Amino acid sequence: MRSIVSVRNLSKCYSVGQLRNNNPTLREALMRVPRSLLDRRPSSTLWALQDVSFEVKPGEVVGIIGRNGAGKSTLLKILAQIVKPTSGEVDIYGRVGSLLQVGTGFHPDLTGRENVFLNGALLGMKAAEIRSKFDEIVAFSEVGRFLETPVKYYSSGMYLRLAFAIAAHLEPEVLLLDEVLAVGDESFQRKCLEKIKSVSRDGRTILFVSHNLRALERHCSRVLFIRSGVLHEGFDAQSTIAEYLSEVSENVAPQASLPQLEPNAPEDRRTPDFI
Amino acid sequence: MAISKKASLTWAQKDDYTSAQIKPRTLVELPTTPSIRIRASRKWSGINLREIWSHRELLYFMVWRDLKVRYKQTLLGVSWVIIQPVLMTLIFAVFLGRLTHIPSDGVPYILFLYSGLLPWTYFSNSVSTSSHSLIASAQMITKVYFPRSIVPLAAIMVRLCDFLVAAAILVGLMIYYGQPVGLSILLAPFLILHLTLLILALSLCFAALNIKYRDVGTVLPVLLQLWMFASPIIYPVSLVDPKWRLAYSLNPLAGIVGGFRAALLGSELDVRSLLISAVITLTLLVYATFVFRRMEDQFADVV
Repeated sequence: MRSIVSVRNLSKCYSVGQLRNNNPTLREALMRVPRSLLDRRPSSTLWALQDVSFEVKPGEVVGIIGRNGAGKSTLLKILAQIVKPTSGEVDIYGRVGSLLQVGTGFHPDLTGRENVFLNGALLGMKAAEIRSKFDEIVAFSEVGRFLETPVKYYSSGMYLRLAFAIAAHLEPEVLLLDEVLAVGDESFQRKCLEKIKSVSRDGRTILFVSHNLRALERHCSRVLFIRSGVLHEGFDAQSTIAEYLSEVSENVAPQASLPQLEPNAPEDRRTPDFI
Repeated sequence: MAISKKASLTWAQKDDYTSAQIKPRTLVELPTTPSIRIRASRKWSGINLREIWSHRELLYFMVWRDLKVRYKQTLLGVSWVIIQPVLMTLIFAVFLGRLTHIPSDGVPYILFLYSGLLPWTYFSNSVSTSSHSLIASAQMITKVYFPRSIVPLAAIMVRLCDFLVAAAILVGLMIYYGQPVGLSILLAPFLILHLTLLILALSLCFAALNIKYRDVGTVLPVLLQLWMFASPIIYPVSLVDPKWRLAYSLNPLAGIVGGFRAALLGSELDVRSLLISAVITLTLLVYATFVFRRMEDQFADVV
């Protein structure tokens, strides 16, 4: 069977200087010019992903695990076209929907109803599509009573339910989810997982990052383990998860799992939170 | 329908603990060529107009959001759009018209001022808001993919709506002063388009640069202030020495504002400066789209 997502030799490199100071002022940028002329050594770099290759078949539910800063979110961001890779290729045969953060683009002053349309459009739905699914979305979110209330007055649970409901009705061929299940109460989490399962039953493909190992074991046909930017895949989901667990519980020195900084790296060994 | 039922049945039977062994079934027909190709960024590439067009509904919703939010918690609501150019007109009318008696090409100074301040307000407000627009939506940029140029584009469209509302006052003033209207008024829509393209060029440049160098946002108000005095907003072009006219018309706003007055107030149309302005505007626009495209790929990394 052909793959719906094909990732070949994907790498993403951040230069540590760039990480430390994201926004150089013009003066700093100008002052860097003579310094970089004098200092010909390459600046220290951080490989968030290194030579990652994998294929995903249509209908698969693929879990992605790894410690904080291992490169899971970077991988999803590249697949979602938010971030460009440094090298490597990705081909995707279908529409991609991504939910990397619940409620992106929600405007606090707009009502729930207005935000459904705004957020739906942001996630890539057509207005007609949103209109036709509107009642379903509202029913799933269980916030029907507060539809005309600005979302800034919502409780965080209501906010979350509405946001997930919109994304759940996106129906792309490939759905990317990042840790969105970590929030919400038990019953809503179960509802989300049910929804994920029904989405995959329709032949749609899901890639999701989660630390909820039990959910991964139950719902994923495969698990990818990213260790310091390098992909590792075991024989099946259970064995990969077991491997990850044993590695985490070995409790090695905390730095061992962080991406390796190459020479010329200063004392800065923190990993930025967006990787 | 029958297929999907069968598929869900097989799934349900094996669902319990062995889901890892289930061979996924495909119900989605795969296209033969990838619909999305992700590659490392190339240095120079043009802006993808088709992609922007396919996101036109998002553009609409962003404009709609900004208009809606703006008036949700204000008392005076839509009248703020009018108050700004009207107040500026009054201030300049008192300080310049009364005290220094600047000539105004034979039309009442208030009418002359407002017809210059109206396009100026559109220009300066949209350049300054759209230059900040990408930074303001950093949260979206780092979490969702869409053509980034939609963000400054939406900011400009919001200001265009303001401009059209404030233009009603101009119509009122023209009626009040009994200003005759000729066929030249047909030029007005083209001048608005011309002005919008100039705004777009500057906004794309500044918005992209502002992400990397926040200095742009700090320098911009000063630059705009200077720009206003370098353009025929509060004084007529006829005040500029003829031997400097050519240099003066290198400011693309000069031709546009002059054209605006020619279209509405029947002053003489300076075709040369309008053409110079058009050439400069188009050149800037092409340059700006390349700058924007080149930096666009880094936005999520840098912002």
